[in-house]
Amino acid sequence: MKTTRLLSLGIALACALRGSAQVPDAAPPASAPPAAAPASANAAPKSGDSKFLGKDVPVFDPGSELLTWDGKTWNVNNNRAFQARFEKYLNAPEEVSTEARQYQAIISEILNRLAAGNATTANIDVAFKYLPMASRYDIDARLGSALADAVYTVWVAQRQQNRLTSANESLRYARHSAYFRVATSDTGSTLDETKTTSTTSKTGSETKTATDSVKSAARQGRAAIELAELEAAIKANEARKMLSEIQVKVEFQALIVQFFMQRRFQHVLMATRFYRAVFTDGDSKLNLGKDATELFQKTTGVPPTISVLDSLANEALRDVREGVKAYEFLLENNELDSAAKRLAEAFTVGEWVPEIRVLPRTKKRQALEYVQKSNQLLSTLEARDYTQAERLLADLAKIAKDFDASKARALIETKRRVAQLRLANARNAALSGDKATLEKELAEATELWPLNPQLAEVANAIFSQGDVQQRAVSDFDQLLGQKNYRQISENSTRFIAALATYPDKAKQLQGVLTDMQKIETAILRADEMARQSNYAGAWESVEKIAPDFPDDSKLNQVRANLTTQAADFVRTLRSAQDAEKREQIGSGLAWFLKAKKLYPQSDFAKEGVERLASKIVPEG
Amino acid sequence: MARRASSSAHPVWMLFAVGLLVAAVAGGALLFNKTSDPYRTLTALPVQDYLENANSLRGNSYKIDATVVESLRYSPTAGRLFSVEVQGSERLPVLVPAEFNHVNLERGQRFYFKVGVEDKGVLRAQDVKKV
Repeated sequence: MKTTRLLSLGIALACALRGSAQVPDAAPPASAPPAAAPASANAAPKSGDSKFLGKDVPVFDPGSELLTWDGKTWNVNNNRAFQARFEKYLNAPEEVSTEARQYQAIISEILNRLAAGNATTANIDVAFKYLPMASRYDIDARLGSALADAVYTVWVAQRQQNRLTSANESLRYARHSAYFRVATSDTGSTLDETKTTSTTSKTGSETKTATDSVKSAARQGRAAIELAELEAAIKANEARKMLSEIQVKVEFQALIVQFFMQRRFQHVLMATRFYRAVFTDGDSKLNLGKDATELFQKTTGVPPTISVLDSLANEALRDVREGVKAYEFLLENNELDSAAKRLAEAFTVGEWVPEIRVLPRTKKRQALEYVQKSNQLLSTLEARDYTQAERLLADLAKIAKDFDASKARALIETKRRVAQLRLANARNAALSGDKATLEKELAEATELWPLNPQLAEVANAIFSQGDVQQRAVSDFDQLLGQKNYRQISENSTRFIAALATYPDKAKQLQGVLTDMQKIETAILRADEMARQSNYAGAWESVEKIAPDFPDDSKLNQVRANLTTQAADFVRTLRSAQDAEKREQIGSGLAWFLKAKKLYPQSDFAKEGVERLASKIVPEG
Repeated sequence: MARRASSSAHPVWMLFAVGLLVAAVAGGALLFNKTSDPYRTLTALPVQDYLENANSLRGNSYKIDATVVESLRYSPTAGRLFSVEVQGSERLPVLVPAEFNHVNLERGQRFYFKVGVEDKGVLRAQDVKKV
């Protein structure tokens, strides 16, 4: 529990410190596993219109590994800055140089000399002298100098306080004298009184006695004023002393908190020990602002004191050491998932802790591939590239035997299935010509799985189908305008498919195809009759439908051929029709009778005979 | 013994006699035909002219020697309309008015028709005689 609190505080502090260099992610996408618990993140408290480190105090939820800060929520493991920093660490060489060892030796020496029981004046002076030496090393980032400056400032302030104490001693002595003078003037000096009585007795003058009384009162007044001035000076000095002490304390505490926020836990320990050495009044309460106090209280559960910081720093150092040991053990067992997580946690808290810095690069790099692939997996899930994510899952399962792929696999499968379903709906909508549904389903399928390989195929098919369809519709309109029904009939398959979504045009197409069927049937019948040398019957077969389709070239061609072959019949029939037109009913009927003789099955002749006979004999 | 005179006719005379007989029969038949045509004074209908332009024949009366092909239409008041075949090829419509309803006109029977070319080229029978 304490470790968790420490981790959350460390992460919060680390993020707060890096805040200016980071851009918090937007709320993680629903598809990414880390975003599985946004509700808990949302429940994180906010500190109103606080301006500390932005708007809110950063709050870390260890249950979901989500950090909430400034209205944004993100998973600490799924953060670009953290990933980059951690990968950089995994690739960095271990710090085992002579310089690093010397630096750690100095730090250890300082801590030893300031440890409880060792903090004599001499040891404190030695430790103080070591601080500038430590700050000469690059890894120290001159924090040792900052601490030395703070300690020196305290000492200067304390010397100033000593001088003020001495000054007050002098003032108190003067005040004592002033008190005496006032006191003696007030009660009447025996010396003066004797002197006055003697003088009175000598001179007997009452006027002189009065003059002496006035002078005495004046002296008493001056003494009272002097006393008041001395009192005021003493009070002013005491106030100055108090203020000076509070100021240096606050400055020192701020430095300790800063070290803590920077996760420079060794410096926190040095500073707290120096603090106790230079401030011996036993007051260790931290004078922090409201937000900073809340930050500590919410994460540690206790009010912030020097002791709390000291114990937190010690706990952090211990936790990091334990984390590194756990990493090494898990690494030996090829449990890279847990190993990488433990190392990431240890790194987050104790980036500057020696155990983290000296971890060999060879050991760190064993986790690198796993971490990189894990980060890639998170990226691919965020980008909804489920094909690549599946490959990464397989790779991760090979690398780390403790890798749990079930969550990610379930997510991938679910998304893929839903996307495929949407795609199938889109395909059906395209076939049925439901444009609105097509667009909606296609958009949904794209949103769910943008890199779905079938998405491109289906979309291309639909779009090319749309293109072909438009071209077919255009061709149909053109051919219909030209009354080129035969061309339409020859490409009927193409037009049937294309015009399925255009009910009006489909109806026109159906009409054209029916007509063409009539023509073809007539031509087939004519061919059959012609084969049997029944040219009159063949001609009549095509002639019957000719008025309906005067523009059909094939029909006209057949008609022309058969007209030649059935010339007598055609001429007779034409003569009959001509006579009928001329109202020559008798001769017209004679021609029809002749035609009927030539081709007894002739419908034209039969109808002509019926028609004209009824004109001659109306009543049947 | 006295030589007997020959009794057989000369072959030339025999041929002449046969020829004379044939001529007598043919002449008789011709004469019979001429005398059996009841409308021998009428002109036969010029069928081709009629077919080409019936109007030019309108108002005239002609005779037709034709065979009944079929009955086209019948009306108790207007009469019967027949298709008849003339000269073995052309077919003509002949309207036989109701007044000749008593005459049986059947398919395949040959009749002499006295026809008038009426308005619109209709051939109306003015008289009908069975051949």
